[in-house]
Amino acid sequence: MMHYVCKYTPVELFAGFGEKYTVLDDMPDNFDLSDRIAHPNLCGFGKSVIQSALSKGIDKLVLVNCCDTMRRVYDIIKDSGTCSFLYMIDLPHKCGYCQKEAFTESLLHLKSAYEKYTGKQFDRNAFKSAFPPLQRVSGPYVGILGARVGREIEAMIKKSIPFPVRNLTCIGNRSLSMDINALENVPDEKQLFMIYADALLSQLPCRRMNDSTARRCLYADPNLRGVIYHTIKFCDYYGFEYSEIKDKLTVPILKLETDYTRQSEGQLQTRIEAFSETLSGLENKKAKKRSSIKEHFVAGIDSGSASTDIVIMDQNKNIVASVITPTGGSAQSSAGKSLDEALHKAGIDRSSISRIVTTGYGRSYISGSDESITEITCHAKGAHYLNPAVRTVIDIGGQDSKVIRIDETGAVRNFVMNDKCAAGTGRFLEMMARALGLSLEEMSTLGLNWKEDIIITSMCTVFAESEVVSLVAQNKAVPDIIHGLNNSVAAKVSTLVNRLGLKEDFMMTGGVAKNTGVVHAIEDKLGIKLYICKEAQLCGALGAALFALE
Amino acid sequence: MDIIKTFGGMIENMVPKNPMGARRLLLMGYRAQRLALSALAGKKLPPSKRYVARAVMDVIIRALAHPENAAMVSMFTPCEPLSVAGITPYSIETLSGYLSGTECEKVFLDHTAGEGIPETMCSFHRIFIGAADTGLMPKPKFMVYTNVACDGNMITFPYLSHKYGIPSYFIDVPYEKSEDAVQNVAKQLKEMSAFVGDMTGRPVTEDALREAVGRSARTVSNYINYLGYQKERRLPGDLTSEMYAVFMNHILLGTKESEKYSRMLLDDIKKAPINSGLRLLWLHLVPYMQPSVKKLLNFNGKAFITTCDLAYESMIPMDESRPYEAMARRMVYSCYNGNPKGRILQAINMAKRTGADGAVIFAHWGCKATIGAAQIIKKALENEGLPTLILDGDGCDPSNSSDGQIATRLGAFLEMLGGKSK
Ligand code: SF4
Ligand code: SF4
Ligand code: SF4
Repeated sequence: MMHYVCKYTPVELFAGFGEKYTVLDDMPDNFDLSDRIAHPNLCGFGKSVIQSALSKGIDKLVLVNCCDTMRRVYDIIKDSGTCSFLYMIDLPHKCGYCQKEAFTESLLHLKSAYEKYTGKQFDRNAFKSAFPPLQRVSGPYVGILGARVGREIEAMIKKSIPFPVRNLTCIGNRSLSMDINALENVPDEKQLFMIYADALLSQLPCRRMNDSTARRCLYADPNLRGVIYHTIKFCDYYGFEYSEIKDKLTVPILKLETDYTRQSEGQLQTRIEAFSETLSGLENKKAKKRSSIKEHFVAGIDSGSASTDIVIMDQNKNIVASVITPTGGSAQSSAGKSLDEALHKAGIDRSSISRIVTTGYGRSYISGSDESITEITCHAKGAHYLNPAVRTVIDIGGQDSKVIRIDETGAVRNFVMNDKCAAGTGRFLEMMARALGLSLEEMSTLGLNWKEDIIITSMCTVFAESEVVSLVAQNKAVPDIIHGLNNSVAAKVSTLVNRLGLKEDFMMTGGVAKNTGVVHAIEDKLGIKLYICKEAQLCGALGAALFALE
Repeated sequence: MDIIKTFGGMIENMVPKNPMGARRLLLMGYRAQRLALSALAGKKLPPSKRYVARAVMDVIIRALAHPENAAMVSMFTPCEPLSVAGITPYSIETLSGYLSGTECEKVFLDHTAGEGIPETMCSFHRIFIGAADTGLMPKPKFMVYTNVACDGNMITFPYLSHKYGIPSYFIDVPYEKSEDAVQNVAKQLKEMSAFVGDMTGRPVTEDALREAVGRSARTVSNYINYLGYQKERRLPGDLTSEMYAVFMNHILLGTKESEKYSRMLLDDIKKAPINSGLRLLWLHLVPYMQPSVKKLLNFNGKAFITTCDLAYESMIPMDESRPYEAMARRMVYSCYNGNPKGRILQAINMAKRTGADGAVIFAHWGCKATIGAAQIIKKALENEGLPTLILDGDGCDPSNSSDGQIATRLGAFLEMLGGKSK
């Protein structure tokens, strides 16, 4: 079985030798094998190819001279000696005559290399019949664009999105337009391959080509209803394209960044579902359906990784009771315990609760709820309830930070989340507090009395930690160091906010909203005022309760 | 040091509100520094290295002051056709390096982060894009670039060409080294020269090109000679001088300045004292602003860099009678083109020539071409008996480097080499 990774690969050529071929796009669980022999700062896809080649004993692999990463992936696999047939096709960046000629030569080289490897003869008919028929698709769809997605993510997206989904990344949009019957009359092999090379090169360009302006048609399709834009950490081509198109698109867009492993599937699921809710205008429909029902009490449960929050509400949208307890054990048992506590506080029993909506990371693990909605949609709802003037919610929790743009009804218009790294999250502050030997409470206020403006240059938690240690060693004052750390969190958060654009009023929620130093730093950095209230930590649960009411 | 910090801070504050003002201020600062360079500073440096500092500074000043007569290029673009047409070429790496040396890089890095440009992209490119986007960098007349060595070019140049609305020429160099590839590139270089002629109204004649390539050939041969002397002698120097050499052997290659520099280098080293300090061969860019590296290697007779592979990457004999082919061959057979074998062979070669005790591969954050090959190169060089260190860091974005970690690694490596060989 021949494995390949790129739409410019001449797979029909292999069919001409009777060889079967398949796309290599598995998302591994980790990169342990790759990390042993390759630098960790290669893109996740590159590492996944190395990982697969090493772990699965892939025997035949044909790569394309796509980018600096792919070139090095080839070198590394070659060096490891695990493939018996490993080939890299030299793909030009332009499509001029010179380049087509050169690409024809590349294809012929590959052909003779393969001939030599197998000793088989090339069969023109088998080659010809391998060309798939051109497919025309019509009707509305959501497009997956950007860097390639693994089949796991593609399946996840297809499951969650209420429209047909088209994968338009690397391999997904392979499409050769050539008249196969015309090949009949081409006696000369070189000429035949020239036509083939031309068809391969004339596909819709990927972002790696020098002139990729033709890609605009991907975004201008009237049937396009939404875009899920995938980027892979350390892949610059597609991250860059995202920044170019994000403000120009007229349909909703969701940016998903992965490292091409399955490690963050839960977080991805949340984002995809939230996006899907935006697409189908879920909130409005639900509001219509249920407004006729009169009920007494509802509960919203926000099952986060750090705490489980419950809000019990009556039918007039009054908060009757709320609790915040640290999540311990499973999501299910924490939710059960907290709910009991809240019921006790409210002085009612379980049977008076007519509906329960869950949200947060653990939302789907809680049985007995009527519905689960992502924390992004719930947060927006809760924030709107607390202050209807709010248009931008900045939520910094323990594991992640997000910025949500909401409209005058409390519906989500757009949102961004931090990537997997801990910079700019509560976790970062926690680790720094530990490095300084302080409690989080102390961290929150100590930095306010700073004198020297220290700049913490490292964003990465590990680097920042050693920077802090060395600042302490240099006898720098602790308030000054904390002030520097607060500013570094603020810088990271501001980047997220700026990605959505500044829109008043601003509200800050999540555990870090209690940190006065960080709050001030964000306000200074963005030149804005943040609305903060004591219910802020309940925002998600509050939103869930409101959905339960509706 | 603190003057630079204050000056950089002023520029950073000005950029968002008044980019033109910031540009004027920057230019003023660079002109002042240029004067300082010719008057007193650099006393510790030999004449050739003082000369090169001024010559490179001149190019940057010209690029900022007269953008209408300047072209943006990538580092591996053959610039003979540009200098023949009287155009000032400047590269992304050099300009970003200067901005970072002025300590005003942060405002540009922050700007690109706000735009959603991946923070994993090479900082040279990000700083440059930030400088262009904010309006600090004036619009050049046109641009010429190539894919050799760096994917970043394939992102930055099309983006800026579109943004500035200026024409560009792209030289697509095949990955495989062959005479076919040389002919293919030579054709493109001919086209590129015609493009430069059209852009400037000053046709690039083949005669003028022959002369320029002749100068290139002499420069290269002087430089290789100079490297031979490094085995025994040492010219005092700092890290920045090594990066200037890279600029001279690329962007200015084929100019009178570059030839003069190579001659001066050769003269200087012939007169330099014998030295038995540790000799390092450096692969990829030299982080000339990193405090710990400066401390260990600037003006240090006990350990110093003899050369960097960016400075010698395309040092192959050139036939000036066929200028297009000569330039094309430089690109195709550059050790940065194709698989890392080229870099390995060239490194072994140069290590022998300069008597290197060890090699350092600088794994610059975001530079996939080098970080991806680092392990392979290290293994191969060590098989040849050349101890090799992979040093992670960032050449111009301090937030991606941990100075303490670099100090420890490089320090220990030098201790190891010292114990071993001398
Ligand atoms: S980016 Fe382009 S060249 Fe690279 S794998 Fe995808 S389709 Fe192929
Ligand atoms: S994801 Fe990006 S960096 Fe990785 S192989 Fe594909 S194009 Fe290259
Ligand atoms: S360091 Fe690497 S990525 Fe950056 S400009 Fe140089 S070659 Fe390109």
